[in-house]
Amino acid sequence: MTDSRTEASLAGAASQPNTTGSDVAAGQGSARPSPPWRARRRRPQRGRAPWYVALLWLSPALVLIAGVVIYPAIELVRASVSHYSITGLRLGPAGGRNYSRVLDHPALATVLKNTLVWVVAVVVLTILISLALAQFLSKDFFGRRVVRWSVIVPWAASLVITARLFTLIYDYYHGILNHTLLSLHLISKPIDFLGDDRWTMTSMIAVGVFVSIPFTAYVFLAGLNSIPSDVFEAALIDGAKPWQIYWSVTLPLLRPAMLVASVLNIIYVFNSFPIVYTLNDRNPGFTHDTSITFMYKLAFKSSEHDIGMSAATGVFNVILILLVVMAYLKLVRWQEPVNR
Amino acid sequence: MARSRTAVLAGIGAAVLALAACGGGSGSDKAKGTNSSGAKVSSIKLVAAEYSKENTAKFWNDFATKYKAKTGVTLDVQVVSWNDIAQQSTTMVQNNTPPDILNINYYSSYAKDNLLYNADEVLPSSVQSDLLDAFKTSGTFNGKLYGFPDLSSARALFYNKTLFRQAGIAAPPTTWDEFEADAKKLTGLGNGTIGYAEPLGPEEAQAEFSIWAFNNGGDWKDSSGKWTINSDKNVETLAFLKKLSDEKLTQNNPGKTNRTDGAFPLFKSGKAGMIVGFGPLSSDLDKQKKIDYGIAPMPTKGASSPQTYGVTDYLDAFKKPGNQDAVKAFYDLYYQPDEVNTFIKAEGFLPVTKSGLDVFKAQPNLKVYIDTLPNVHLTPNQDPTWDKVLAAVQQNIGAAVGPSGDPKKVLDNLQKTAESGG
Repeated sequence: MTDSRTEASLAGAASQPNTTGSDVAAGQGSARPSPPWRARRRRPQRGRAPWYVALLWLSPALVLIAGVVIYPAIELVRASVSHYSITGLRLGPAGGRNYSRVLDHPALATVLKNTLVWVVAVVVLTILISLALAQFLSKDFFGRRVVRWSVIVPWAASLVITARLFTLIYDYYHGILNHTLLSLHLISKPIDFLGDDRWTMTSMIAVGVFVSIPFTAYVFLAGLNSIPSDVFEAALIDGAKPWQIYWSVTLPLLRPAMLVASVLNIIYVFNSFPIVYTLNDRNPGFTHDTSITFMYKLAFKSSEHDIGMSAATGVFNVILILLVVMAYLKLVRWQEPVNR
Repeated sequence: MARSRTAVLAGIGAAVLALAACGGGSGSDKAKGTNSSGAKVSSIKLVAAEYSKENTAKFWNDFATKYKAKTGVTLDVQVVSWNDIAQQSTTMVQNNTPPDILNINYYSSYAKDNLLYNADEVLPSSVQSDLLDAFKTSGTFNGKLYGFPDLSSARALFYNKTLFRQAGIAAPPTTWDEFEADAKKLTGLGNGTIGYAEPLGPEEAQAEFSIWAFNNGGDWKDSSGKWTINSDKNVETLAFLKKLSDEKLTQNNPGKTNRTDGAFPLFKSGKAGMIVGFGPLSSDLDKQKKIDYGIAPMPTKGASSPQTYGVTDYLDAFKKPGNQDAVKAFYDLYYQPDEVNTFIKAEGFLPVTKSGLDVFKAQPNLKVYIDTLPNVHLTPNQDPTWDKVLAAVQQNIGAAVGPSGDPKKVLDNLQKTAESGG
C-alpha cells in the first residue's frame, strides 16, 4: 500500500518541474537518481511481484499468525519442558519429565475414555439432528423466519451462561427438569443429573449437542440451498421415491457441507471447555473430565497444581486433535470429487 | 513457484524468530528483577479476591483514593472472583508480572519461592504486635511472618429454630450422638426436610472436614509437625460424615455438593435443619428475614470442648524493585482500625487484630465467634505442602462419602500425598 502510493507521488513529482516536487523527492531520498525509478515503473509487471513486495503485503497477516498462533505454540512447548513451582514460578528445565508424569497419571485412561465418548456422541448426535432440522428449515412454511431465528439463539449466547443455566435446569432440588418430570409422573424421585455418575456424561452431552446444533444446522441449510433444483426434478422424473432421492441425491451432494460440519465440530467439541467444566465443577476428582478440563485442573485445581504438566497435556491435546482430524479426512477421502 | 514459496517460508521464519527473540528477551529481563534506575515506583497494583459483589470493590476503590492522597502513589485495584484468583495469580507469576499486593488464601508457597517481603521489611511494628497470636502463628514461615491476615472467619453450627420446634428438639446438639438423633428427627418431618446440609464438594471440602475433625480431637498435623491426615480420629470423623449420608440425613450426594451454590441455598430456603455457617451466611439470612435461626457451638465427640475452625486470608507483599516503601505505606494504612475494621464489618467477617477484637466484642450477634477467636483452630497454612494437600483434599475427600466411598482409603491417599511433599 505504501509502496504504490510512493510510486504514484514520485511519478507526479517526476512529471513536473522540480519546483513542487522537491520536498517529496527530498523525503524519499533525493540522492537516488530518478531515471532508474521511472524505467522500472514502466516495465510491465504482470504476474509475480518480487518476494519482498509480497512479504510486505503479507506482513500484517504474518505478524498476526506469528503472534496469535506460532508464538503461543512456542511458549506452550517451552512451558511443557520447564519445571514450575506451585506458585507459577519457573524453577528450571524439566526435560521430558512433565510428559512422562502425564502419561503415568492414574486418571489418564478415564479422561481419554471420557474425551472419546464426549466427542463421538456430541458430534454424531449433532449431525443427525442438524440434518433433520436443516431439511425442515429448508422447506417453505408459515413462520419459517421466526423458526430460523430461534435456532440461532443458543449459538448467540455465551457458552458459560448457557452452561450455568443448565446447571439450574438440572438441579436436584430446584431444577425445572426434575420438577417437570416429577409432575408428569415420569419419575418417582428426582434424578441427580449432574451428581449421579450414571447421568453426568449424558447430561453434559445433551448440552453439548444443544449448543452445537445451530452452527451445524446452518451449514447444512446452506448446503441444501446450494443444490440445484433440477437434479431433484430429474430424480422425480426417473421415478425415485423420496427416501431414495434423499439417500442418493441429497446426501451425496451435501458431502462438502458434511465435511465442513464434521471437521469443525470435532475440533470445536474436543476443545469445548465451558460446558464440561461448568456442569462438572461440583464433582471431585477426574471422573467426568475430558482432556481439556483435565489440562486446566492439572494447572490450577488438582494437587499437582503444575503448569508444566498442564502444558505437556496441551501439547498432547494438539497432537491428538490433529491426528483425529487427519484420520477422519483420510477415512472420508476428502480430496475425491463429489461425483462418484 | 518454488522460489516464492521458499521466500514466504523464509519470511515466516524470520518473523517467528524475531518474535521469539522479543519474547525471550523481555522475559529474561524481568526475571532478573533488576531495575537499572532503582527509582521508587509511582504506582502499585493490588489484586484482591472478591468477598462480595456489593462491598469488596467499593472498599478497595475508596481505599485507593485515600492511599493516593496520603502517599501520592497510585493504587491500581483489580478485584477477581474466588473462582479465578488462583488461576490468575499463578499466570501472573508465570509471566513475571506479579501484582505488588495479592489478597488470596495462601502465602507459604510464595514465601518458599522467595517472592514475598516479610513483616520486618514492610509491616509496621505496631501492627505486628496488634495481630492475634493464632494468625501470627499461621502466617509464619521459616521463623518469619509472611502471611499478613486481612480478615478472618470462624464457623459455628447454624440451626433452623422453626424446624427444631416442629421436630420437638429443645436445644441444639452438643454431642455427635445428639446431633445424629436430631438430624433423624428433622429428616423425619418429611416434606423434603434435610437434617444436615453437608457440603463436601470441591469448593471448600477442607473446611467441612476440618471442623468435624477438630471436634473429634483430630487434626491435619500433630504438635510435632507430622502429618496425621489418616489418624484414627480423622478416619472416624469421615466415617461419621459418610454415615450421615448413608442414613439419608443429609442432602442428596453430599460429596458433590458445594457450599455456596448447594448447601447454603438449602438452609436459606428452610429445607435444611442444620448447617455449618459463618458471618456472611448470617448477613444473608438477616437480610432475607425468612428463616428463624440460631447459632451454637459445634457438637463434640473426642474433643473436650467445642472447637472452632477458623479461616484467614492474606495480603501477600511481592518483592519488586522500588516498591518497598509504597507497599509498607499500604499496610500502614490498611491496618488503621478505621480501614481494616470497616472492611471486615462490611464483608461480615471477623477481626484479625487485638484492637479489632475489642471493637467487635460490642456486637452481640458475633459473641459466639469472638469468644472462640483467640483459640481458633486453623489449617496448617504455614506449610507450603499444605497448598498442594489442600487441592488434593478438595478434589478427593468428597468421594469418601459416596455410596461406594472408603473413608480410610481416601485419607490414606491424602496422607501419602502430604508425606511426599504434595
